[in-house]
Amino acid sequence: MPAPRDVAIVGVHATKQGRNLGRTALSLMLESFNGALDDAGMTKNDVDGVISFEFPAGTGAGNTLGEVAFQLGNPMRFTSHFSGVPALLYAAAMVRDHVADVIAIPFGGSQEETDGATAAYTRPGYEFTEWTGSTTPAQMALQTRRHMALYGTTSEQLAHCAATLRNNANINPEAVMFGRGPYTAQDVLDSRMIADPYTLLMCALVNDGGSCIIVTSADRAKDCKSTPVWVLSGGIGCFYTSYYFPPTLQPLETRDRMLGAFSRAGVTHDDIDFVTTYDHFASGVPMEYEAAGFCEVGDGGPFCVENIGLDQRFPVSPDGGNLGYSHCINPYNLRIIEAVRQFRNDTPDLCPNSHLGEHTYDRSICRKVRDPKLAVACGPFTGAFSMSILAKD
Amino acid sequence: MTEWTKPLPHPTPLSQPFWDGTKEREIRLQRCDACGAHRFPPLVLCRVCLAEEHQWVPTSARGTLYSYVIQHRPATPAFIDDLPYVVAIVELDEGPLMLTNIVGCEIDALEVGMRVEATYFDASDDITLYPFTPSKE
Repeated sequence: MPAPRDVAIVGVHATKQGRNLGRTALSLMLESFNGALDDAGMTKNDVDGVISFEFPAGTGAGNTLGEVAFQLGNPMRFTSHFSGVPALLYAAAMVRDHVADVIAIPFGGSQEETDGATAAYTRPGYEFTEWTGSTTPAQMALQTRRHMALYGTTSEQLAHCAATLRNNANINPEAVMFGRGPYTAQDVLDSRMIADPYTLLMCALVNDGGSCIIVTSADRAKDCKSTPVWVLSGGIGCFYTSYYFPPTLQPLETRDRMLGAFSRAGVTHDDIDFVTTYDHFASGVPMEYEAAGFCEVGDGGPFCVENIGLDQRFPVSPDGGNLGYSHCINPYNLRIIEAVRQFRNDTPDLCPNSHLGEHTYDRSICRKVRDPKLAVACGPFTGAFSMSILAKD
Repeated sequence: MTEWTKPLPHPTPLSQPFWDGTKEREIRLQRCDACGAHRFPPLVLCRVCLAEEHQWVPTSARGTLYSYVIQHRPATPAFIDDLPYVVAIVELDEGPLMLTNIVGCEIDALEVGMRVEATYFDASDDITLYPFTPSKE
């Protein structure tokens, strides 16, 4: 039975994404917040819930829930800490239960507040990690090497995933890596080694950017100026704190729960038109297709080679993902925003009239998925995994 | 001893017995009094049965290589002279996973599943680190 279409994303906005924008995380967050309200046709007085990250290393000091509430001047009926897919699922549950009516999920990230490096929380001064010289990529590469040893996943398959995403970004004028390609898998393999098995082009850059998502009920969505995107279902699995405890492949065990999310949504994998994985490293792509149940555990490498191109069965992040579009320190929201923009036919690319929503589907210039109705948006595959199923009418 | 310029661990009351162990050339872990499970990193409660009572016990200090990464970029400038170095996870014979380095092994000889054992390195008067190396057993 199809899930009721009772909770919707009605507003999204991403600021300019780029390196060293010279802005604070808070200013990027507030710009995206205003942009998402405009997109929805709402005002700040409509918002009665907010979900946002609150740790200084990721988002900048002052980027706190109390600060948002004070800035808005509204009492908040629901606040919580997260971003992206988990935040979307919390928001949907709270809206369904009438705890809050309109929940904003704003985010801002600025390199100025992370020393220009990866988020500090990914490099903890923890007594059982720091002395080994482990780095942010090393923690994910440890998962990846284990996956390669157990299932035969290859560097070539990871390189294929990275090249696919970077080529999508290459034709996305909003992408931080716009115009840098095209890339072959061999180009990815030939880039310098960072944390073997990861080469440079298998790792996301770090940049600045803001993003915001507005979630509300079907009733309130009727009054919004945007086309609603329905939050059908999703799932979350958390196993350990990344960067502290030795990384494992346990998040693949969320697969059964994610199959349950498809059942609750009343859709099958075959119905899905595209997938936005969270690919801070190339290995996120195959592991997330596995954890989301598109293929068996361990089969993600060969599956991706056959399936994630724009004209293949389950295209991956047409915006270029974290690897190519933006890795604004914590780009959780952007995976959802790209899904919404594909549904709305708001996908700038190199087609002559892409600004009018006219697309050529010539894959050297066009990143538009054909007539999408259903998408899966993912959270990061770290010590946790999360996924949501989104739909348009 | 050459001066140690890399980060030194800061033991906590919970973890101090582990560091007392490495100083005496042992890998000591908490073993649950209730169910016998070993746990690491140090935790207040057993991961298997949530009992608190435990003993710190010596282990075999041996295990298998669970995964590894070859660092071609240093975590901080203090690690530059070590490049390339190996960050690894060892699955101890007693069960827990442990993040460490692999030393004394050619890069090409690294293989997930290989047998490894702890070595000990006095980084300061208080701290002895425990990189692993291919097992001689």
